[in-house]
Amino acid sequence: MQLTLLPQPDGLTIRVDEKRLDAAIATAFKDSVRSMIAGGGPQVTLDLSGVDFLDSSGLGAVIAIYKAMPAGRTLTLAGLTPNVERVFQLTRMDTVLTIRKADPRQQDPQG
Amino acid sequence: MTAASEQAAKRLRQPPPGRKPMVHRIFRADPATVRAALQFLRERFDGSAEDEVISKLELALAEVLNNICEHGTRHEAVRLGGRPHAPLIHLCVARHVGGIACAVTDDGRPLPASCLESHSLPWTGPPPQDAEAILLLPEGGFGWFLIQELTASLSYFREGRRNFLAFIVPVTEPLLTAGAAPQQGEGDQFSPNCSG
Repeated sequence: MQLTLLPQPDGLTIRVDEKRLDAAIATAFKDSVRSMIAGGGPQVTLDLSGVDFLDSSGLGAVIAIYKAMPAGRTLTLAGLTPNVERVFQLTRMDTVLTIRKADPRQQDPQG
Repeated sequence: MTAASEQAAKRLRQPPPGRKPMVHRIFRADPATVRAALQFLRERFDGSAEDEVISKLELALAEVLNNICEHGTRHEAVRLGGRPHAPLIHLCVARHVGGIACAVTDDGRPLPASCLESHSLPWTGPPPQDAEAILLLPEGGFGWFLIQELTASLSYFREGRRNFLAFIVPVTEPLLTAGAAPQQGEGDQFSPNCSG
């Protein structure tokens, strides 16, 4: 499970260095991210720009991470590739989770 | 191997008209072997249709194969060494005019009939506002919805100890080259005629 922890002024970014978030690693992914979040600030960003395949197991892991966010922390997904974005759209989970558009110039002024 | 399946295997080895890609693989149900099969499939089919279509094919097959890994194992039938008997999957995928035909068979537990009924999303409400509502969000139950959303002509039957599942991932052909007569619905006629 390859994840990179990038500390930010207001929290942390977790970059997923796996090309596939599938059933083979969904549980390990969920557990690793949860343990990383435990030690960070309020804003948690999950950078998925390196992921080009996500199945329902990977989606379930992301939802589980969202549900387990400690009080006062927010989770933002960033860098969704078209294949990954499709899964969120098809399952309507794009309406539940906070997704930052891929363009790096469009930083959300609200944070 | 029966005469019928031998005949089917022979058919599979023949290059289809137009040299369109196909894949046939046999493997034990396990998330790692599923991943390897899908990566092989992706390599073989890349360029044979739009990338979006190949991605939908990969996702639909991932959901089907993951379900076999997760639910197909017969825990009452233990192999040597005490490990449960993971189903043996036969995967066959062929590019046709108008679609990519998939046939998946396995010797795992029977597929519940409810899987093939029309599936709605496990969750469609507005974004949950409080912590309690968030905890009710589903972490699973998306698989069969995705399969039905991404495929056409989904059909299933059980014969002997095997599940047979067949479906098509539709392809909209951008251009038909001169001389190649359009064969509408060819993909729809595909069925895994494994029983002879």
